[in-house]
Amino acid sequence: MILLLLFVGLLALIMIDVPIAIALGVVAAIAIAVVDGVAFLPNVALVLFDGARKFTLIAIPLFILAGAIMNASGISRRLIAFASALLGFVRGGLSMVTIGTSLFFAEISGSAVADVAALGSILIPAMERKGYPKEFAAAVMSSSSTLAVVIPPSLPMILYAVMSGTSVVELFVAGIVPGVLGGLLMMGMAYYISVRHGFPVEEAFRWRRVASTFKDAAWALTLPLIILGGIFGGWVTATEGAGLAVVAAIVIGGVIYRELDWRAMRASMVDGARQTAVVMLLVATSALLGDFLTSVQVPQRVAAGIIGLTENPLAIMALLNLFFLAVGLFLHSAAAIILVVPIVMPLVLAAGIDPVHFGLVVTLNLGIGQQTPPVASVLVTACSIAKADVWEVTKVNVYFIAVLLVVLLLVSYVPAVPMALVELLYR
Amino acid sequence: MSSLALLVVAGVVFRKAGAALVWYDEVASILLVWLTYYGACLAALDRAHIGFPKLVGKLKGTSLLAVLIIRETVVIAFFGLVAWAGWRVLLILDGTYLVSLGWVPAQVTQSVIPIGAILFILSEVCATAVLFRSRSSERSDR
Repeated sequence: MILLLLFVGLLALIMIDVPIAIALGVVAAIAIAVVDGVAFLPNVALVLFDGARKFTLIAIPLFILAGAIMNASGISRRLIAFASALLGFVRGGLSMVTIGTSLFFAEISGSAVADVAALGSILIPAMERKGYPKEFAAAVMSSSSTLAVVIPPSLPMILYAVMSGTSVVELFVAGIVPGVLGGLLMMGMAYYISVRHGFPVEEAFRWRRVASTFKDAAWALTLPLIILGGIFGGWVTATEGAGLAVVAAIVIGGVIYRELDWRAMRASMVDGARQTAVVMLLVATSALLGDFLTSVQVPQRVAAGIIGLTENPLAIMALLNLFFLAVGLFLHSAAAIILVVPIVMPLVLAAGIDPVHFGLVVTLNLGIGQQTPPVASVLVTACSIAKADVWEVTKVNVYFIAVLLVVLLLVSYVPAVPMALVELLYR
Repeated sequence: MSSLALLVVAGVVFRKAGAALVWYDEVASILLVWLTYYGACLAALDRAHIGFPKLVGKLKGTSLLAVLIIRETVVIAFFGLVAWAGWRVLLILDGTYLVSLGWVPAQVTQSVIPIGAILFILSEVCATAVLFRSRSSERSDR
């Protein structure tokens, strides 16, 4: 009974636009007062402090900061120029430049929204100037940024790792093959649409231009090598790798390129602090509710209920996929991971699904959710940059969402796609 | 954020140099907690916390006003409770210190909870006042 009231109360608070983080805290505090007694309420302060005190999550503000530095120091511009020299000769080349740069940028920032905000402001107007419809420009930018969160480092993966007790590094490694595969499929789709609609060729392929833009972007291209090399090589942890990303971005942008715009960087840092706090407050208040739900064994009961229906891992994976796709329609990915992952983990383990494999499934499902209204933070950011209508963009975006769904099916039902590299390197 | 970045990098450098900073992960985690609660106040000022505004956005007139009043009451009451609970914890922690930095009182690090909660309430009140002012000026423009 108390669980039903808790769920209804949470839903009611969310429906009247109480921030989800606070709604979680309110229902948890009421549940503690009712079940344990008012004398236990001071524990709320202790749990809220400890809930936000997770060393691994320090990676989130640091990767956001690295992305801000990249954008304020001409690194993004150089990457776009190099990608343009490499891919611009293909029909619809600028859309492929968008996909390629987006995947590369995410190798440093780890965030889809940061990806769209940073690159979209350069690439979407560039595509419009070349005659691409703004709806197509926004759709390519938005969906490629979502795919980019599968490629390491990835903020949703860091959150998932903390909420499920999984290795961040193994999750990062598991994202490499699906990310690259998805990128190629998405470029194929962009090419198909471009040929069908006669979108322009960016520029003729010239080795000299490739060489000059490569020379210009060479330092920027070393950034992922430094960060991911450090993490995968076991030289630093994921959190320390994020610190390394900040230092490397400052050295490359500020010392080597000498283009660091301090004013833009300061504004990005304030924005980054705000983004971090929004996610971290959710983490902290979910700890409050999580403690209560664990004490009344909700995750175990959910697992037992579903295992009672079917023990087939494929059927359970299908159920979880549908569930996370539905959750992604209405919840921001961070909120969904924090709320739902701790509840379904006992089920995932009981079904014999590898938690690292499942991490990729969750990241992709919720990434697709960021492309589907009503709650679609990445799509909405791209639309606001392109000044395009969300529904009109969605009509084009369905092709790219279809690509993301193909990648999701491959990741879900061919475990070797995400897990082969993990097995090879860590098991 | 910059302090966090500096601290994490210093932690790696010192560890690789064979002189690991024993206090580094404890202090970095506390900085994250501070960033969380003080940054949350900043987000409250801009109404940037993740919510579901679609339904409320469709309301008008008295029903909108009623929902906004309930919403603000819930938020302010919750942070009022957090401020009270945080204050009680500060009293209990009197005389305790950090594990790795024995001279730093735990009250200093934990103070972020009551102070952050009070600042959150103030931010929420300011943001609500701005919201009401903008809505009433929209109405008078019409």
